[in-house]
This record gives sequence, structure tokens and C-alpha cells, in this order.
Amino acid sequence: MQTDRWYFPIWLWYALLCIFWWGLWGFLSKIGSVAASPLQMQILFTLGMLPVALGMLVQMRGKLDRNREGVTYGLLSGVATGVGTLGYYAALREQNASVVTPLTGVFPVLTVLLAFVVLRERLNKVQAGGMLLALAAIVILSI
Amino acid sequence: MIHWMVYASFAIVLWGVNGLFMKLGTNRVSARSMVIWVTAGFLVLLPFMWKATTLSGLSTGVIFVGLIAGAVNGLGNWAVFACLEKGAKASVAIPLTALYPLCTVALATAFLKERPTALQWLGIALAVAGGAMLSYEPAPATSPEEQLHCVQ
Repeated sequence: MQTDRWYFPIWLWYALLCIFWWGLWGFLSKIGSVAASPLQMQILFTLGMLPVALGMLVQMRGKLDRNREGVTYGLLSGVATGVGTLGYYAALREQNASVVTPLTGVFPVLTVLLAFVVLRERLNKVQAGGMLLALAAIVILSI
Repeated sequence: MIHWMVYASFAIVLWGVNGLFMKLGTNRVSARSMVIWVTAGFLVLLPFMWKATTLSGLSTGVIFVGLIAGAVNGLGNWAVFACLEKGAKASVAIPLTALYPLCTVALATAFLKERPTALQWLGIALAVAGGAMLSYEPAPATSPEEQLHCVQ
């Protein structure tokens, strides 16, 4: 049972933290891409992620979760993001970023649809409205 | 020649499906473990990218910026996995965190002295409103016992 009272769930802190880190990543990418090609930047991103992953491993004292399905989804997530990014760069070779980026920015719609079908997640009316506004914002900010 | 729309659609499908992988993964392993496995997934692609290009010709400064950007991206990955691990729905967390260009625009305005266009201001307003609405989650109702306790 729920009330109409709004509260600040703990996951929201992490979402805001993610927006900050990824926003900073976008900013640094903007600076680096003046001199480096997208593919060169992608190599540097991958290498740059290594110390963070190693830091996590040290924090966990080497006790890495090895649930087979979890590991598969983790690996698939990395490969899907990387290959998707390469597809995005390939599209950029043929078309302007002002056309490609807003278009690819609609990817969360697919996640929402899949979450609806596979995970049986349901958004409340406010969240559904928010998703539409967020989508419009993503497209506009990508232009 | 393959049309650019095919490549763009490819990116949309893979990134969209990835949102599902992220949630399914964090349902099974910790956020920190997910960062490690996702990084391993990225590493699989590294040899293919090395074949297509090299880093020769890049200045030390650009390499440094790229590496720091990668590290920051890794921290963002950890934050989104932690967000999902703490109970966020994939259908909320993924569109919400996809609003990160809002932060990029703010940083570019502050440090690169770029001025947002009128259209970007509209995007910023929509992002703030959309983000607030997406994060709207009604508080769980307290049980009658808890309510009674509060009255006492």
C-alpha cells in the first residue's frame, strides 16, 4: 500500500550521482574529441575504466560475485554498450551528429518497453509523464 | 553501402536492451561486481578497436583526458548499478540517468563559456521537470500499528 506522500528514495541519490559522473564524462569527451577520433576515445575510455574496476575488486577483497547469470548479463552489458557505441560512430561517419545523436537518444524507450514486458514493471502516471518529458529533453539536448 | 539509419538503429537496440541486462545483472550480483564484469565486456572489444586505429599522434594531454573520462564513466556505471541494486525500476533509472547531458551542458557553460541556445534552455527545463516526475515515488503507507505508535 502506498500514500501520495513523496519521499526521497535512496536509489535517487545514486541516480543523481550517475548523472553527475556521466555528465562529467560527456564534458571530458567533448574536450578530448577535438583532437582524438571517436574510436581512439573509445579505446581510452576502456583503458580508463580499468583502474575503477580494479579499485572495486580491491574494495571487495577479491570476493567477486560469480553468479553465472549475473556474470553473463554483466559481460553482455559491456559488449552491448561497446558495440552499440561503435554502431553510433559508424552512423556518424555518414550523417551529422545533430541528426544521429537525437535519434539514438530515444534508446530508453526500448528499455522501458522491455522492462514492461520482461520485468513486468509498471510506471505510475506521474512517472510515465516524466518519461515523455525526459525523452523530449534527451532529444533536444542532443541536437 | 549500409545506410546510416541501420547503424543508428543498431545502437538504439543494443543500448535499449542493455538497460534490461543492467537490471537483470544487478538482481543477481552486486553493483561493484557488475562494474568489473561490464569492464571485462568492454575489454573483449579492445583488440578489434586496436586493429582499426592506434593512439599514435595523440598528445599526452588528450590521452590523459580520455583516460580520466573513462574512469569517470566507470564511476557512473557503478552509480547506475547501485541505483538499480537499491530498488530503482529499470524503466525509471535508465531514462532518468540518460538525462546526464543536462550536467554536461552545465559544465560546458561554466568552464568552456558556452552559452545554451534557446532550444537547449527548453531541453534543460524539460529535463528538470521530467527528472523530477520520473523520480516521483509515493512513500509506502505506514501500518495501523505504526500509526497508533505515532499517535501515542
